[in-house]
Formats: sequence, structure tokens, C-alpha cells
Amino acid sequence: MNFSNEEILRYSRHLIMPEVALAGQARLKAARVLCIGAGGLGSPVALYLAAAGVGTLGIVDFDVVDSTNLQRQIIHSTADVDRPKVESAAERLHGINPYITVRTFDTQLTSDNALGIIREFDIVVDGSDNFATRYLVNDACVLEGKPYVYASVYRFEGQASVFATAGGPCYRCLYPEPPPPGMVPSCAEGGVLGVLPGLLGVIQATEAIKLVLRTGDTLAGRLLLVDALSMRFSELKLSRSPDCPVCGDHPTVHELIDYEEFCGVRGEEHDDGLSVPEIGPAELKRLLDSGEDLLLLDVREPHEREIVHIGGHFIPLGDLPERIHELNSAHQIVAYCKSGVRSARAVEFLRSAGFRRVRNLRGGINAWAELVDPSLPRY
Amino acid sequence: MIRIRVQLPAHLRTLAHVAGEITVQIDGTVTQRSVLDALEVNYPTLRGTIRDHITHRRRAFVRFFACGEDLSLESPDTPLPEPVATGREPFLVVGAIAGG
Repeated sequence: MNFSNEEILRYSRHLIMPEVALAGQARLKAARVLCIGAGGLGSPVALYLAAAGVGTLGIVDFDVVDSTNLQRQIIHSTADVDRPKVESAAERLHGINPYITVRTFDTQLTSDNALGIIREFDIVVDGSDNFATRYLVNDACVLEGKPYVYASVYRFEGQASVFATAGGPCYRCLYPEPPPPGMVPSCAEGGVLGVLPGLLGVIQATEAIKLVLRTGDTLAGRLLLVDALSMRFSELKLSRSPDCPVCGDHPTVHELIDYEEFCGVRGEEHDDGLSVPEIGPAELKRLLDSGEDLLLLDVREPHEREIVHIGGHFIPLGDLPERIHELNSAHQIVAYCKSGVRSARAVEFLRSAGFRRVRNLRGGINAWAELVDPSLPRY
Repeated sequence: MIRIRVQLPAHLRTLAHVAGEITVQIDGTVTQRSVLDALEVNYPTLRGTIRDHITHRRRAFVRFFACGEDLSLESPDTPLPEPVATGREPFLVVGAIAGG
């Protein structure tokens, strides 16, 4: 593979390392790496792979840039808000390295398109944000025989590994089934330290580059746990499960399935999967304005109430079982949280305790701020 | 009584209203079952999150590790490694997260 003089100069710090050298840089240039998501993890992954000279970089993302992304999704800038993420990312990547090809897929990865997209790449790096996509990516990688570079983050903690290599475990060997909807909060609901996906994304980029260079020991067969709060890195051994339905000795999954059904929801970030009585912000406003005898119940945490609240009784969800006596089951109650996920669990709990006139504020206080009172901040 | 160190994933620490590593007191042989039983007695909100409410079997989206080894497929009554049983190493409960 030929490199121009400009490329030789650009990659000089690689070329003078015997572990990379011209042959390794040529491998990088010939490599085709697919990034699932241009978010918190996908940003550093794509930025470093582009800078490293990975010749063909694919990016799949159906979303547009939102203000709340900018705290950690460093591939996008303030001026990119409302632009498609793949468009914003591609522009930035070309700015970093004009010698690479960026292929954008402005679409949601689904069971219908995943195999076709993944087939065109050598390595898949997963920066998705929900369980359904993670199982989809895993199964597609196993079926197509592509290494799956995994990481996930929550608050101060992250996990990373390399799945679906020859003889190595896959994501299903580690977690055969997803948690029930609502049991494990998403970053949108529970938060994430902005630099954490940076830390884990850089680990993913490192693993992808090692896979391309065929050098070093990858995280295949190991799960790396990162605790940013204590800055401790732990390494745990993983093995391929002979009983794994996808990569085991007698696999039962031979084609992609319905992953939203498998995970019980349409993606963890969007829904809590619970079916409880709801009320929309506009309807709640109408009831409050008409003087309806109604109790608002804020089930968020104290530090969230400091940001913004719309009044009402305040009992964090975790305290509800021991403080349920503070509520009157005869009252009409509307529970709210940030986006309606935790308050749905509160409504479910209260209904199981005999409360019949309790409803969930659909979309939470963020929807209230958007639709009823734009003077309030969203978070 | 032996003091066993346990590390929980972030969302379970929130649920149990604890920060950082926790300890549980065990009387007798230190096994997965005795540690988890003690954990659920001390922190009732964790019931059903690590093990199934009824069967007490480990949930499929949770794994147990100690001393770098995956103990998830061991019998719940197998004694835990000596460094865990003497409190030198923690018993790790690791759970699936999906944030990106």
C-alpha cells in the first residue's frame, strides 16, 4: 500500500514504532471499522481511529445532536445541535484526517439491516446505549464472525471487553439475558461522568487498533471493570459458555431475532416497559388550573429537586416503601420524576399497595418544562 | 463471625442506600448463599435484584467474581476462596449496564 509524503509525515510516530511500522500502518489504512453510535463512547473511538489512520470508518447513528450530549460526546460541538450525529461526526473526522473514508449510516441498526452493514466491515465497536442494540450487535458479530469491541458505562463505572473472537466468549456468554425493563437505569436517567465514556472509548479504540495490527493481548476472555471514583481497574476472567445460544456448542440462534421483544421494551432509554395509568403534562395543567384536589408526588433524588421542581410532596423512590404512610390512598396522586421512568415504578408500587387513584406524569418534569412551562430548565 | 467484603454495581448501591464497598457478617462457612442471604437480610431492597425472589437462583444479567475468577457457575454452597472468606479480597457482584 502506498502512502503519500504527507501521510508518511502524519503517521511518523506510528511508523517509527517497530510494533506498527509501515506494515502496521498499511493494515490500519486497509482496515474497515464500524462504530455503532456517535455518542459518548463512539466519539473518542471514532476520533482516535480516524487520527490513527483507519482507512474506512463506518458510523451508524439515527439520532441528532442534543444539548445534553455535549457534556461527553466530544465529536460534536455546540453549533452541531439538531444536526444528524453522523453528519456532524463525519465532518469532524474529515477535519482530523482527510486521508480516510467515512461511511455514514443515518439509520437505526435493526435486525433487518445489521448483517448487511456489519458484513462490509472487519471489526465492530459498540458504543450503543441500550440493551436491545447490544444483543443485536453481539449476535450479528457472532453470525458474521466479526470481533465485537464492547464497552458500557454508568455513572462512575465502566466495563470493557472484546467478544466474538475465535474461541472466545460473546456478550451472551457474560449476560445471557438482559435485565427487566427499568431495573438498571440508563445514563439518561441515572447520569454518567462526562469523561468516563472517554476513558472507556479510548480503551475500545486501543483494542480495535490492536486487532487490526494483530499485536498484543486483547481483552478477549477478560472483562475490564473501571471505577473512576476510586480510579481502580479490575480484570476478571471470562470463558465461552458451551451453553450459549449464539456461540455455544449447540447454538439455537441462527439468525437475528426481535431484540426489542427479547429485551421487553423499545430500548431502555425510551421506555420503562411498565404499563401504568398516565397523565400528560397538558391534562395535568388543566386539572391543576381547575382546582382539582390532586397531590403531586416527586419521587426523584434531593439533588435533582434542587435543579427544578413543580412542588408537591417529596419522597425519593427508594424511600417510598418506608414512607408510604405519608400518603392517603383515597387521594388523587400524580407521581413525577425526570422523564417518567422512576415515577412509573412508583405508580406500580403504590397500585400494588392498594392506591387506585394514582397516575404517572408522562415524560416527567422534562416534558412539563417543554410543553407547559418553558421557563423551567430541562436536564 | 467473619466480616466479608462485598462490592455491588452502582444501581444496586443506590437501591441499598450505600456508598462504596460494604461488609456483611457471616457465621459459619462462607459461600455465595451465605453471603447473599446476609446481604438480603441487611439490605432487604436488594431482594429479587441479584437472585430470583422465589428460586434464589442468580439472575442471568448478574455475575459473581472473586480474586479475578468467575464464580457464577459454581454451586451456591461451594465455599468461597480463602482470600474472600478472610476478608482480604471482596466478593464482586457485577451487573449488566448498557450506557454509551
